[in-house]
Amino acid sequence: VTPARIDFFFSFRSPYSYLAAPRAFALPERFDVDVAFRGVIPMAMRGQSVPREKGLHTLRDAKREAVRLGMPFGRIHDPIGDGAIRCLLVAEHAVDVGRERDFVLEASRGIWGEAADVARDAGLRPLCERAGLSWSDCAAALEDRSLRARVDADTAALADLGHWGVPVLVFDGELFWGQDRIEDLEVALVDAGLERALGGAGGG
Amino acid sequence: MPGAFADTLTRRVLPRLVVALSQVGWPARAGARARRALGRRGRVELFFAFDDPCSAIAVIELAARVGRRRGVRLVLRPVVARGIDGDPALEQKRRYAIVDARRLARRSGLALRRGEPLAAEEAAFLAEWVAAAGAPAAAQGPALTSFCVAAMRRLWLETDGRVRRADYAGLWRERFGGEPPGVAPDAGAGAAAVRRNERLMRRRRPYDTPAACVHGRWFFAHDRLVQIGERLDELGWAESQS
Repeated sequence: VTPARIDFFFSFRSPYSYLAAPRAFALPERFDVDVAFRGVIPMAMRGQSVPREKGLHTLRDAKREAVRLGMPFGRIHDPIGDGAIRCLLVAEHAVDVGRERDFVLEASRGIWGEAADVARDAGLRPLCERAGLSWSDCAAALEDRSLRARVDADTAALADLGHWGVPVLVFDGELFWGQDRIEDLEVALVDAGLERALGGAGGG
Repeated sequence: MPGAFADTLTRRVLPRLVVALSQVGWPARAGARARRALGRRGRVELFFAFDDPCSAIAVIELAARVGRRRGVRLVLRPVVARGIDGDPALEQKRRYAIVDARRLARRSGLALRRGEPLAAEEAAFLAEWVAAAGAPAAAQGPALTSFCVAAMRRLWLETDGRVRRADYAGLWRERFGGEPPGVAPDAGAGAAAVRRNERLMRRRRPYDTPAACVHGRWFFAHDRLVQIGERLDELGWAESQS
């Protein structure tokens, strides 16, 4: 039986995407689902205005949520511009080699918790290598126009769904927006009978 | 290289500074201790909109949660205008808010009945009543909170379709024993009080509803009910044991 699919719309410039990623990618451990990574271009690069107060509140709130989740947050290097696009292109390459989870987790932690400047090779390369990716393949991905077309298509797909922000998880046509709505998605997956049976009675 | 300096400042230094400053807790804790020493209560100031289903969840939940904390009061500040100026996703957000509020309601064991967004002007009279009766904040009490909870329940959990002013006037009379405010000669007082709340909300920094301001820190109240409780705990206003 083919597992159900969850589309995970993600932006490297979104701290809430960073906070969502470990739990989103962990869903197949508990449910019969596949998580499909869909990287999107940051809102501020899509002509949508982000008021100053919203930006400030997001940083403060994300810090509090990161503390709750036990995730590093605060040593930041905002990747807007080239950095965000470079991460999206490498993420598409990582999808092709089955390492998108590793790369997305490493790169987003680098951006939000380690102040990695992903617009520069010196900042991006160690994150790629920590994710088990070959730097020469990643460098080639940065020049690959077909990967850029995939990023544009995923960005358009989010808009076609009638949504504006990230992270968004889509299951069976239903949208769950926000790192703090994963618990509602889990309820929907339980309702759909997709929770895996707990294995092995008496297995220590 | 002023360009490189500016880039470093905006991408690295300022975000890090904002995060670091947000973690400084001693001024608020000292302020809370001083309030208690002076016999003053703590405050959760909630900016909300009657036409916003997520505000309904926030009002219902915070009324119960703050009510369990001795020495803390919920100050209710209804608004009508809010959000990001010129937001291109405004209509999508209004529709999604219903989906989202339905899920949040389920977490609280509630069920949302209304299935379509409510026009702001349809529920504006409720904001005017509450804003007029609740200004100044010292005039607010359990009857006003009870009315807001009952009105939100009626609007979002118990009814669909058009909003009938007479239903809500009945809820008002049950709690206050008189007619709602806003009749002549003070017909404009409610609208003016709502505008004051909207200006106050901008001064406090939130840009959308429902927003709870808790002694120098604000939260989207429907999303952060637990965190609001933790903030009150941190400031020394724990839940009462009873």
